[in-house]
Amino acid sequence: MAGVANTWGYGAMTNHFNDIRHSKLIFFIGSNAAEAHPVALQHVLYAKEVNNAPVIVVDPRFTRLAAKATDYVRIRPGTDTAFLMGLINQLIVNDWYDKEFVQTRVAGFEELKKVAAHYTPEVVEDITGVPAKEVVRIAKLLADNRPGTVIWCMGITQHHIGSSNTRACCILQLMLGNMGVSGGGTNIFRGHDNVQGATDMCVLSHSLPGYYGLSEKAWRHWCKVWGVDFDWIKSRFHSKEYMHKPGFTLARWYEGVIQEDKIYQYTPIKAVVFWGCSSNSQSQYFKVKKALDQLELVVIIDPFATTTAAMCEKDNVYLLPSTSQYETEGSVTSSCRQAQWRYKVVDPVYDSKPDYEILKEFVKRFGFEDKFFKNIKEIPEDVTREIARGTLTIGLYGWLPERIKKHTDHWHTFDLFTLQAKGGPCDGEYYGLPWPCWTETHPGTPILYDISKPVAKGGLPFRARFGTEYTYPDGRKENLLAAEGVANPGSEVKGGYPEFPGWKTDINVIRQALKRGMAPFGNARARCYCWNFPDPVPVHREPLHSPRPDLIKKYPTYPDKPDFYRVYTRFKSEQKPELVKDFPLVLITGRVVEHMGGGAETRSNKYLAELMPEVYAEINPKTANDHGLREGDYVWVESPEGGRIKVKVKVTERVDPHTIFIPYSFGGMFMGKSYAGNYPEGLVPYAIGEPANIVVNYGYDIKTQIQGTKEGLCRLKRA
Amino acid sequence: MKKTLVGLFGLLFLAWGIEVLAEVLRNYGPLSPTDTFQEFAGTVLQDWPTRGREFLKLAPSFKRYFLMVVLALPALFFLHFLIFGPKRFSHQGRRVPYYGAFTRVLHWTAALCFVFLLFSGLSVLFAKDLGAGSLVRTLRFVHLLAGFGFFGAVLPLFLIWWKEMLPASYDLSWFLSLGGYLSREKKPVPAGKFNAGQKLWFWLATVGGVVMFYTGFYLYRFEASVSTLRVYLIIHNALALALTAFFLVHLYMTLFAVKGAFRSMINGYKPLEEIKYLHPKFLEDSAP
Amino acid sequence: MAPGPFGPGGKEGSMGLMKFICDTERCIACNGCVVACKEGNHVPVGINRRRVITINEGQPGERSISISCMHCSDPPCMAVCPAEAIYKRDDGIVLVNKDLCIGCGYCLLACPFGAPQFPKAGPFGARGVMDKCTFCAGGPAPTFSEKEKRLYGQNRIAEGKVPLCAGMCATKALLAGDAEVISKIYAERVAKRGSGLSPKIF
Repeated sequence: MAGVANTWGYGAMTNHFNDIRHSKLIFFIGSNAAEAHPVALQHVLYAKEVNNAPVIVVDPRFTRLAAKATDYVRIRPGTDTAFLMGLINQLIVNDWYDKEFVQTRVAGFEELKKVAAHYTPEVVEDITGVPAKEVVRIAKLLADNRPGTVIWCMGITQHHIGSSNTRACCILQLMLGNMGVSGGGTNIFRGHDNVQGATDMCVLSHSLPGYYGLSEKAWRHWCKVWGVDFDWIKSRFHSKEYMHKPGFTLARWYEGVIQEDKIYQYTPIKAVVFWGCSSNSQSQYFKVKKALDQLELVVIIDPFATTTAAMCEKDNVYLLPSTSQYETEGSVTSSCRQAQWRYKVVDPVYDSKPDYEILKEFVKRFGFEDKFFKNIKEIPEDVTREIARGTLTIGLYGWLPERIKKHTDHWHTFDLFTLQAKGGPCDGEYYGLPWPCWTETHPGTPILYDISKPVAKGGLPFRARFGTEYTYPDGRKENLLAAEGVANPGSEVKGGYPEFPGWKTDINVIRQALKRGMAPFGNARARCYCWNFPDPVPVHREPLHSPRPDLIKKYPTYPDKPDFYRVYTRFKSEQKPELVKDFPLVLITGRVVEHMGGGAETRSNKYLAELMPEVYAEINPKTANDHGLREGDYVWVESPEGGRIKVKVKVTERVDPHTIFIPYSFGGMFMGKSYAGNYPEGLVPYAIGEPANIVVNYGYDIKTQIQGTKEGLCRLKRA
Repeated sequence: MKKTLVGLFGLLFLAWGIEVLAEVLRNYGPLSPTDTFQEFAGTVLQDWPTRGREFLKLAPSFKRYFLMVVLALPALFFLHFLIFGPKRFSHQGRRVPYYGAFTRVLHWTAALCFVFLLFSGLSVLFAKDLGAGSLVRTLRFVHLLAGFGFFGAVLPLFLIWWKEMLPASYDLSWFLSLGGYLSREKKPVPAGKFNAGQKLWFWLATVGGVVMFYTGFYLYRFEASVSTLRVYLIIHNALALALTAFFLVHLYMTLFAVKGAFRSMINGYKPLEEIKYLHPKFLEDSAP
Repeated sequence: MAPGPFGPGGKEGSMGLMKFICDTERCIACNGCVVACKEGNHVPVGINRRRVITINEGQPGERSISISCMHCSDPPCMAVCPAEAIYKRDDGIVLVNKDLCIGCGYCLLACPFGAPQFPKAGPFGARGVMDKCTFCAGGPAPTFSEKEKRLYGQNRIAEGKVPLCAGMCATKALLAGDAEVISKIYAERVAKRGSGLSPKIF
């Protein structure tokens, strides 16, 4: 999301699922939506059948989604930016790009052109393995079928250049002029049903809720919202430095315990709380296990006894059963920024407690109950209200619990194609009040950056987040605001304008802006050139563990990054060209429709466990024959870091001879040993297996530190 | 006149052209649904279109054949009894030991199991008439137990008797006169310890029994492909039909056609007179 | 009768023949139908009333189809059943009477689709009585009774609802209902595919 946000202001799915029905072309890259988002496929297939839309699927594997594609492109893992830049280059070189859109709403085009020129079809073929002719053909398809939408998921983000990958996708759509139109957009499918909500609340270590960051201003804003004294909050920290210092990430928190890479914190981590989170979805899993064995305290709050519970061998672990979503209630946020209300269906059936109650019990014992619940009397409605009041950055002010419930109660009154209610109590509003929903009467913004609608009716320009003017390294100056005449209907200023001062903390500024027909965050150009990124224009860099030593020389990775979310993170020093000799196969992991996430819940369901009872490695017939492996054999998959897992062999043409695929949702076994006996009595899942993340290689995105699970090397050994 | 004819042909041609176009449009796309479903047929249906259909014709017909056998054969024997009557032999004279004690135990165990097998097996075919449900389900389980019992008894019995059951040169002439059973006369017939008819019954019951056991085992467990199971079921039913028929013959022969034969299998002795007429070669073979 | 999956039927006022159609262009092999059936009818593990079969896996031309009992017009299973435990309702749904079934398995040998399923319920791994897709129409026990639920699963047809599998299918690949109605839907879908025209019912 960082890449997307830095291109045009917000990092989220720009259109919505139903809007895909309007697409004249659908471009999937790094997504297996048929298995990860099966329900969304109905919209994709509608566009394919009714609009005759080409469905292009770019993936190293011939996935179940590729089976539905009109055009399948097999690409080498980790080379997405090269491919996308190749497409962008074709659009520029052949004059297929939307000149008007670029002239009026895009900045940094000249810089983009210079960098893209390197990615000729021949260069792209060498890097990605996609034939040069295909690159040109796909570019023409994109140009001929507009508006088209670009959809991606973890296949784009989970790389060490994930931020460049996402930016390249955005730039592609900017070149095609597919932004802010129905049927277009960058529709990033989020991986879990409320992860957008979690992202918006910044359940992350580098920001306060609502993307405010960790500056003093941010803290003061939220202290005001919570009704808590700023100095008291400051006193809770070890020092002021730590109040503003981004913490460890989910991908590397265990380094704070085992310290195999240097950490930048006054103390190692002594305790961890897994709250509705699995651990076997983290790469370098054998290091996670080491951390679990060293920690003084591990608390697991989950409806199921997760893999983490079984992996703890020390007497240091507590399991607190929380309720499922049916036994509690609250709001959830979809991929496309909509809010829905989840009603409670039944009181807690077992001894589990709703998360709110567990939190309350903790807060009571920590002694700041009065401060924590200052504005909260009714849970969860008052919590929703407080969130709405405080999150002005993405316009959640209009997300009052009454409005959200009304939408959920009357969801049948909303149009299937436009999401707008036709009559009824929600007349004129868009389903779920997609944010930004600036005020209590704003109808929601179904399509981001749609300049054709008034802001008060759901329209939006690109955000003016990066100033009004920029001077590029070669001296060229560019006005970052939108061109003359490009503004939403009814806008007082008929062109670009900077953000309104104080809009992020004062609702009255927002109201004022709306009254003037203008967006509170300004009207600017989307950036092709992000000067705050290590690669201002996306460029290809070989994965840390790459099968192409010759390309490592040409496209090396970044220098190492010390104090990167409090831990020294290796890049250049980890890129070893000679690794491929001993580890010749590329390893990718991913989702399967039968299991979800860490798998604690799905592997405890007897029917899902029946559908997929064992973990396996997809191996190409040629590779299998070269290794003397047959279907059903067991094989050791070994990583360069020493991790090894024993999995079943599945011989299939889905992967090419250089690639291995393993689903990541298994747990309960560890490097050949079963940990079934370590689960609490009667709670062993029906299906256990090796977590694929034991062998996923070292590698993290340069901006977000997300783990690189889609690139890495491994080798096979008969079991 | 010419103009109207030309116009008519033109219209017909146009109509045909539209029909073709409509057909093409209906199947627009790289693959028409019919082609797709045909692709699936190989995997989904496998050999049902040929073997399955054959099975459907054969399987329901067995009930008919069984009814015929079970009704016709006893009627035939009744007729035979009326016309020819039983063969009687004096039991006052010398008796010769014929069946050992162990042999008799085996025979009766096998016989009992066979009877259970017969009834429980028929109960499957005639399930409807028995009210089906738990009664027949229980009988199916009885069929399994009796099957094991029969197999366990008939195997040693086979080892004991097989040498004397081997075909001999005079067996053919025994068959030609049907063992003398189609006459009221008391005439010696060419037979050793066991006559040709008995030999036939023996081989059918033992070898056939093994085949029944094998096919029956797979039919019980269903641990084979459906194609294989279909074949096994036909074999099992067909062989069962043959065994039922021969069993009825065996019953008639031992209970009615030869007086005292039943007692022989109880006490192990046969009267010398009977042996002289019905198993003369046995005396020659066992003469000191 | 109101239009919908239960259509106008062959005769006025009567229900049409119930059938399934699985659109292989839309099936994404998510197995949602399989799990919905098992969960909704509390089917024991090992019994698959419905299965998804994929051909050409991993290659262009990969397609999937969801198969269960097809409720044939002339059911081969009914023809060979020695207990006459299988019967066909007026609305075409083929059901088995588990009280009569003797578990002989002839139906499985006669079925082209492998629909009859047998639990390993009896002694020495003996087959239990036959279980198969009921079109979510329950069984010969009294409608909505505890016995019906226990032996056969839900009776959604009596509630006027489509079977769980078809109701659950997100891409509407699996259609269930009156043969005339769903054939029309499917035929229109296929005819308009690629034409740029939206079918009345997508």
